[in-house]
Amino acid sequence: MPDTLGLAAIVTKFALYLGVMTAAGTVMATLMFRLDRTRGLAAAFAVLGLTATILAFSLRGANLTGDLSGMTDPEMLGLLWTTPVGTALLLRLVGLGLLIAGLFMGRVGAWVSALGGVVAIWSFDHVGHISSRDTTLLDIALTLHLLTVALWIGVLTPLKRLASIPDTFNIAANVGHRFGVVATVTVPVLIIVGGYMGYQLVGSFTALIGTGYGQALIIKVLLIGALLGLAAANKLRFIPALRAGDPAAASHLSKSISVEWLVILAVLGTTAVLTTHLTLPT
Amino acid sequence: MKAILLAGMIGIWATGAMAHSPLDATTPANEATVTEMPTEVLMGFKGDIRLTRVVITHAETHSMDMDLGEQTAFTQEFALPMHDMGAGTYVIEWRGLGVDGHALNGSFSFTVE
Repeated sequence: MPDTLGLAAIVTKFALYLGVMTAAGTVMATLMFRLDRTRGLAAAFAVLGLTATILAFSLRGANLTGDLSGMTDPEMLGLLWTTPVGTALLLRLVGLGLLIAGLFMGRVGAWVSALGGVVAIWSFDHVGHISSRDTTLLDIALTLHLLTVALWIGVLTPLKRLASIPDTFNIAANVGHRFGVVATVTVPVLIIVGGYMGYQLVGSFTALIGTGYGQALIIKVLLIGALLGLAAANKLRFIPALRAGDPAAASHLSKSISVEWLVILAVLGTTAVLTTHLTLPT
Repeated sequence: MKAILLAGMIGIWATGAMAHSPLDATTPANEATVTEMPTEVLMGFKGDIRLTRVVITHAETHSMDMDLGEQTAFTQEFALPMHDMGAGTYVIEWRGLGVDGHALNGSFSFTVE
């Protein structure tokens, strides 16, 4: 089991993933599907992402001294700043800052926010298991993986909201249909790059079965499988029924999205354990 | 479902070894027994690292923080001056930062007769 600091690092990482991915995904989905009233949602998750960014950086300082004093130790934090961890911190602060600023800038702002979201997501290329491999293909794979995941997460809450009010059932059907079309490209990309990264990082079937890292990856893949099942039900049953004017489909869609959210939280939690606590098989 | 997930997570936490211990070799070696107290301890790492904290515990009683004031660069070899606290087991716990930004830590011990 991780110690208290290790546990805090995992929880903070989870909040970081949730904040950055949901904020970036919300502004991307808003731009792509011309959604309304998503500003509060994007802002709230961007603030969560910013808070977690700072806390995660500070906790790394504590890891260097072994006690809480490291969280505010200027020497430790200054030292971290000179490493790729500092670069990632800068990209996250700038990215999420742009994202929030864009929310208050009218039409152009949507593009500023989306750019900020991409910068914040790109920060994940600078730290962790992928960056240490130093291959451009893996970097591209990770960025594509995160962008497609973010868009998926970003569309969920606005779609659920649209499917909760009878007046907007037709908009929900329309957005759901268009996301379904986009997903025929993004979901295969997500699976292919995810498989590629998993193969590059774990490397063998023995390591997949026999190491904690491999086992956590199996849990993640099983959860993604459940998510794909839910998404398929939405795309093939509930969205077509909603488009045909069946009001019961709206409540099915809404419930299905709630379950999707729970599975996504489990996926992000598993990922936080993978990237924080577990070492790669060697 | 929740119980299965939770059990899985706990299982993973339990099997996950403490991350990143790239300490290549030490003098005295880990778990070695020496007849005389060394004047310094040598630590050699596989990659460049900056030590951020080193605590020495003698005979499970006296702990002291080593002064790292002069260790201000990322490097692979460290020589840390030792204070003679008498015979017994010395445990050296170290923490550091890799150039890639990873926090590193580990420990080793030796015994003075």
